[in-house]
Amino acid sequence: MEEFRFHGRGGQGTVLASITLAKAFFEAGYWVQTFPVFGSERRGAPVEAYLRLDKSKIYIRSQVYTPDHVVVQDAELLRLMDVTRGLKKGGWILLNAPSLPDQLQQFDGFRIACIDASRIALELGLGSRTQPITNTSMMGAFSRVFDKPSLEHIASAIAAEMPAKIAENVAASRAAYDRAMIYGMVSGASVFHPSSSPMEEGQDA
Amino acid sequence: MREAAKRIIPVPLLMSNAFAPTTSNKTGHWSPSQPRYQNKTAPCSVHCPCGQDIPRVELLAARRRFRDAWRLLLSENPFPGVCGRVCFHPCERGCNRGLFDAPVSIHALERFLDDEAWNNGYEMETPAVSSSGKRIAVIGSGPAGLAAAYFFSRLGHACDVFEVESHAGGLLRYGIPSYRLPLLALEREIKRIESLGVRIFCSYRVDADFLSQARQSYDALFIGCGNGRSKRLGIPGEELAVDGLCFLKQSMQNGSKSLEKAAGPLASPSTAAVIGGGNSAMDVARSLLRLGISPLIVYRRRAEDMPAFSDEIRRASAEGVQFIELSAPLSITAGQSGLTLRIQRMRTDGLGPDGRMRVAPIPGDTDLLQIDQIYAAIGADAAEPWMMPPPTADRLLLYHSVSLLNSEKTLPTVYGGDLVNAEESVADAIASGKEAAIVLDAYFKGGSACVAPAVERCRIGSGQGLSMELYMHGPRGQRSGRVVEFADLNAAYFDHSQAGRGEVIPPALSIGSFAEIEKTLDREEAVRQAERCFQCGLCNDCDNCRTFCPEVAVLIKADKGLQPDSAAAGWQRWIDADFCKGCGICVTECPRCAMVLEEPPI
Amino acid sequence: MMKVLEGSQAVAEAVRLARVKVVSAYPITPQTHIVEELARYCAEGSLDGRFICVESEHSAMASVIGSAAGGVRSFTASSSHGLAYMHEMLHWAAGARLPIVMVDVNRALGPGWNLWMDQSDSLSQRDTGWMQFYCADGQEALDTTLQAFRLAEMVHLPAMVNLDAFFLSHTYEPVEVPDAQTVDAFLPPYEPPFKMDQGHPLGLCGVAPPGVYMEMRRNMQMAMDSVPDLLDQIEDDFFIRFGRRYGSLETYRCADADVVVVTTGTASGTARVAVDQLREQGEKAGLLRLRLFRPFPSRAVRQALEKIEKAAVLDRNCSFGSGGIFANELKAALHGKGGTAVYSYISGLGGRDITVDLIKELYTKTRDADRPDSESVWLGLKEELMLR
Repeated sequence: MEEFRFHGRGGQGTVLASITLAKAFFEAGYWVQTFPVFGSERRGAPVEAYLRLDKSKIYIRSQVYTPDHVVVQDAELLRLMDVTRGLKKGGWILLNAPSLPDQLQQFDGFRIACIDASRIALELGLGSRTQPITNTSMMGAFSRVFDKPSLEHIASAIAAEMPAKIAENVAASRAAYDRAMIYGMVSGASVFHPSSSPMEEGQDA
Repeated sequence: MREAAKRIIPVPLLMSNAFAPTTSNKTGHWSPSQPRYQNKTAPCSVHCPCGQDIPRVELLAARRRFRDAWRLLLSENPFPGVCGRVCFHPCERGCNRGLFDAPVSIHALERFLDDEAWNNGYEMETPAVSSSGKRIAVIGSGPAGLAAAYFFSRLGHACDVFEVESHAGGLLRYGIPSYRLPLLALEREIKRIESLGVRIFCSYRVDADFLSQARQSYDALFIGCGNGRSKRLGIPGEELAVDGLCFLKQSMQNGSKSLEKAAGPLASPSTAAVIGGGNSAMDVARSLLRLGISPLIVYRRRAEDMPAFSDEIRRASAEGVQFIELSAPLSITAGQSGLTLRIQRMRTDGLGPDGRMRVAPIPGDTDLLQIDQIYAAIGADAAEPWMMPPPTADRLLLYHSVSLLNSEKTLPTVYGGDLVNAEESVADAIASGKEAAIVLDAYFKGGSACVAPAVERCRIGSGQGLSMELYMHGPRGQRSGRVVEFADLNAAYFDHSQAGRGEVIPPALSIGSFAEIEKTLDREEAVRQAERCFQCGLCNDCDNCRTFCPEVAVLIKADKGLQPDSAAAGWQRWIDADFCKGCGICVTECPRCAMVLEEPPI
Repeated sequence: MMKVLEGSQAVAEAVRLARVKVVSAYPITPQTHIVEELARYCAEGSLDGRFICVESEHSAMASVIGSAAGGVRSFTASSSHGLAYMHEMLHWAAGARLPIVMVDVNRALGPGWNLWMDQSDSLSQRDTGWMQFYCADGQEALDTTLQAFRLAEMVHLPAMVNLDAFFLSHTYEPVEVPDAQTVDAFLPPYEPPFKMDQGHPLGLCGVAPPGVYMEMRRNMQMAMDSVPDLLDQIEDDFFIRFGRRYGSLETYRCADADVVVVTTGTASGTARVAVDQLREQGEKAGLLRLRLFRPFPSRAVRQALEKIEKAAVLDRNCSFGSGGIFANELKAALHGKGGTAVYSYISGLGGRDITVDLIKELYTKTRDADRPDSESVWLGLKEELMLR
């Protein structure tokens, strides 16, 4: 079983991204379970969502405490919380950022990937300049980092889930797949250069 | 498992479902009190000089039964089109809705119903009354005379009307300018009266000889000549002033030429003073405006003491009529450049015994007004002595708006209209004609002793208005005379809403012609306005009583033939005393006080 | 067809498949997604029913009482304070023997104000005459809602289907949504034994004096008594058509267990993982999940625990002054049967998570104890808060 944790803010579509990814994984043959951290959500407040994947039925229903990987849809959250809380060593941190964040040492022992999802959203007219809708870009980068689910499964899940601008959202996921920057393991305060084959990197770890 | 699926497991289901009624219990016999349906009298009707059944009219209008509503108006007043335009609508002052938000637009709705009747060719309903064989001569074709003739006819008496002018209508035709009352609206109502068989002889001067010979042709006389002769100013130079009533008559006939006929030294006058504070003074001033003159109303008391209707004063002012109050005319002199009106400035001098503010001259304070023309409109009185009841007659019976001369020397003669009526308005004149019809009909049937009881029987609540429906023993007679007050209503059932009137042409445009100022309501707005009526004291089938009765003791039956007083859909309701427990919820929840709670009969 | 659905959506699908004619509800977190879905179905016409908007839960229940009395299949949903507000009408629905189905999303009552999972709301309605089911996952929520209609219409009692707030109501997972024809065959149109009908007037729920009231209540108890067998029959039919069955309770690895953990709702899945891990460590752990709470499946409980020495009951509720409600019910069911000692634990109140570790702790405590404490043991308390 693999466990993912999504960080974002209310209104960014983080929960919707985890649901859409779950549906894409389900189409790809996985058993899935996804749920948000339950609260009275407000726009702009930090939100979390979890995604569990397995090849057979998932029974456990407690919250995810030790995720295998995390996805951070808003880099500003790095200043508010420790997104590596409970993250298993060697786990990926997929970050919506134009480049590597400062103070890389806080991610020591984890692997890091970045995607400038906000730029892609702006290019494709998703959301506004101050509030770009980045969830579908994150999904494309997710597919690149983890080599699953396929862009085709993501595209069909987007078509089924998203309320509007389906073509733009699918295009965002494809663009993000292409532009994702896969850095790999952070060691101390340094990181390997982007790799063209992320899973190779992952297998090495 | 399959075996188990076939096993039948009985599930018991005992519960208190009753298929038999509990009517055998007859729980009502220990009721401490008993509700009863009782329609009452609405305050608007009490305030209406003609005693119109206003809540029923509005109910019918709200249900789009415009023809029925119009016919109901006609049963109490032959002039809904006239009154819908010129009546000062005291009904709206009495309306309980005024204490809630704003009175129902009764006046505008009356006008709407008559326009609707005209546009759709509705026909009047005439009561099935056989001819009495009596013939009545009516002297004067103003609102009182024509109303008297109308009601005489509907009571089965043949009627001839004699009018000195060339056309019928009296003050309605010659005294009210057409921007308030277009000729068409008047003529169609007069035609309707003629259609009843009333003969109108115009340009017919009645004199004392006619009256003495009338006995040969008629069984009774109605004299309603109105105030035909203007009062004199009684100041030096008053012959230089134009008689306001004459001017109005001429302006009606000749339009702008009336100015030339009006006496005055200037060929093209541009300013005029109108002396007086009554409705005629307003009419003269506003007519002058429409002829291009700037009028100035000169009145000896304060503006708020003017006898003219406040609406008329307001509209005159809005159109640009100027007012000089507390100024009494002293003299008129003619000069090269027009007329000079000398006025005495007045001051208030405390309340008089009649409750009216008195005025007194301010010594030495006089003023001169340079003016092109002066019009006198300070009221009028009877043109000839025979028009008034003989002051010393011993057999003269006085009623509210008419006097009956029951002398052996002459025909039974009823005097009515403005000349004998304390209240001088169109509606009061019509009411006087109606009272005359009731008085004479009762007199024919049972002599003078029957008259007073007959009049009392027709009275609407505590007011002076009389109802012909009551006289004819219509269903309205089932109502209690108790007048419904606002506190009697259950206002929780009413929503606030806005009163609406017909669109009014703005003053800047209205003074350009004699075209009618106010437009009629459109049909949807009329329905909305009629729906605002609370129907005080009149059951309108709202069914609250039945909805709220905890004992289901309110019974209802559709009965189209019954024609209950509600004028509603023809439902009949009654209380099943076998089950009513006398809780009074129905009475409390009645929004319009159409029920009473009473001690049960022992 | 398998779909990834939220628990709330699974319920709404079931209501649509049941061809409910009247839905009346007032929104409250965490039930809102259910009524949002149903309102949409009614608006778009995919459910040929009326959605009656009301100003309160009391009126929502009154509305479906009216529609059920009128002879049509009726549904509502609520939670927490909303359910508490319905209380009077819950008695009415049961006393009137109306087969209303309601989904309650289990949520705590305030204060302190709390939106999260807790069983206090539905258990406070224990004695209203409603059947009560507690569901473990989205599939079961859908299936139980369908079964509840059929059962309610057979025994003439209303049924409450309970979903854990968020852990079930807001969690997406694969759910098999059956096709409409198969459901129609399982759940034919409702044929009421009596109904409000203007053409054939009757007085419903009138005065029941001392001479009949007791018999009416005895009738309700007898109807409840018939539920376990009828549920078996219904589930036989359900299994044939849909290939799934649940029973009034489920057992897992109980055959040779020393300690059986007793759970309800979504904690059961986590407990199952804990039992597997304990078994891997050589522990003889088992799991009993209660699905039916009213009527309480005493016979099935006695059978399941016949040879079990220790039952460790996890209650996500507390009857103040007494303790865990499921534990008490279990004790009553086992009373006089000797054998099983019932250990009562309270945890997971107000949305506190139930983890695998907590279930293991509960197991270990029970295993190591000689005999149960006289009072319920609270697990997972933060001692630093307790010292205040």
